[in-house]
Amino acid sequence: MSDVYRQPYQQAVITAEPRPHNWLVILDYIFYIALALAAVGFLYYIYIFRDYALLYAPFLLQAAGTTIMISLVSMVLATIFGFIGALGRLSRFTLLRSIATVYVEVVRGTPILVQLLLWGFGVATLLSNAGFDPYSIAFQVLTVFQENSLVSPQFTFLFYGMIGLSFNYGAYLTEVFRTGIESINKGQTEAALSLGLDSSQTMRRIVLPQALRITIPPFTNYFITLIQDSALLSVLGVIELEQTIGSFAYPQTNSNVKLFVFVFGALFYFLICYPLSLVARYLEARMARAY
Amino acid sequence: MDLIKVALPAFLTGAENTIIYCVSSFALALLFGLILALMNSSRFVWLKTPARIFIEAIRSTPIITQLFLLYYGVGAVLVNFNLAYLDNAWAAGIATLSLNYAAYEAEVYRAGFLSVEHGQTEAAHSLGLTQGQTFFRIVLPQAIPLMIPPFVNDFIYMLKDSAIVSVISGTEITSQLNFWLSRHYSNSLPLFALTIVLYLILSVPISYFARRYESRLRAAL
Repeated sequence: MSDVYRQPYQQAVITAEPRPHNWLVILDYIFYIALALAAVGFLYYIYIFRDYALLYAPFLLQAAGTTIMISLVSMVLATIFGFIGALGRLSRFTLLRSIATVYVEVVRGTPILVQLLLWGFGVATLLSNAGFDPYSIAFQVLTVFQENSLVSPQFTFLFYGMIGLSFNYGAYLTEVFRTGIESINKGQTEAALSLGLDSSQTMRRIVLPQALRITIPPFTNYFITLIQDSALLSVLGVIELEQTIGSFAYPQTNSNVKLFVFVFGALFYFLICYPLSLVARYLEARMARAY
Repeated sequence: MDLIKVALPAFLTGAENTIIYCVSSFALALLFGLILALMNSSRFVWLKTPARIFIEAIRSTPIITQLFLLYYGVGAVLVNFNLAYLDNAWAAGIATLSLNYAAYEAEVYRAGFLSVEHGQTEAAHSLGLTQGQTFFRIVLPQAIPLMIPPFVNDFIYMLKDSAIVSVISGTEITSQLNFWLSRHYSNSLPLFALTIVLYLILSVPISYFARRYESRLRAAL
């Protein structure tokens, strides 16, 4: 529109130099200095509270280990749940298909916190009334190995927390696996069947290896969110990273120290999740390319 | 059944509060997200890097950690600045939800802007539109229909994530669940059933309409 008001020579200037050098670029150099100052400032912030940082770091590291362990175990269980769910959703039988659909829809429609509370306070109470107590079972098993002091008093909540996490993520992985399997061209299955492979061979040798490629990036992304959601286990009283951060931060009377403990704890989550998200992005870029 | 009847009014108030939390937080998240996305796509490093750092920091830490940091950590410091009235579950909850989701919405905006072909921007530039005009008249109107499905998805995620506000006693559905659980510990399953049904009532219709919209959009493209 505005072309009408421009003289021809002005238009020529515009085409010759579509993006004129902006004086605001000078702020970039100021910004680098400011960024360096901010980084130094953050390090200095940690340095001011170095006594607290050094005091709490070993415990937080240990708790971070617990968080990683919980996440790994839950992810393995979630993969199993997701695989069963995907088989159910792709099943020929209407009953299995509808059970799997209800599982996915209900789990994805409700908050994970509510599910964890349901496992930890609802299902756990029911099952312990029926005579199933994970704590005493673990205690007895480890008594055989004379290691029963390793069983933490929160084992029941740890157990149901991990079950709840993996049940929740199993529903998300169901969809990941299902879309992965469905994305393989139907012609491949038909070709394999016509070459004489039976249906389980087709699944194992033809479909799954190709589907795996597609599912890896969302799988890693879900693993990162699972690590973050494992912080919700602190609500059940499981002693993992978030619970440890809280137990150090709440008793602080100095509000600046309190804030520092929270920031320092969040740093641990960042150090776990950020490298993983870089890996996830690399995998995504890798898988986007053809073979 | 009696327990459900007794608890229902409290849970409905909780549902109302959940909706208030989500609608206000999501509006703020859309606004912050747009600002972050514009900063992120800027050619100036001094706009780009802060946005990147914010997005990465938010996306790499759990939302419950952010909530505790804001409510207990920043809340305690706010008292020093005579801002104690900001130290409540509403402010902390809405701030956490909107800041957390802003980082995710920024990525949605970015993907939406990228989906509009670059040739259109070039064409608009060559027709003499300024950068602002190109963005608001050409890119944004075409990107919005594509961004609606992911936004609705994120809104449903926020409905679920707003349950986390219950850990700082935020008076929404899950807080009511916690409150009633402490009274009826032995008879908890009806309460869980009520909570789950309420969340499904909130989220299933939205996701149904989102899916319909998405399939119609696919057909239109």
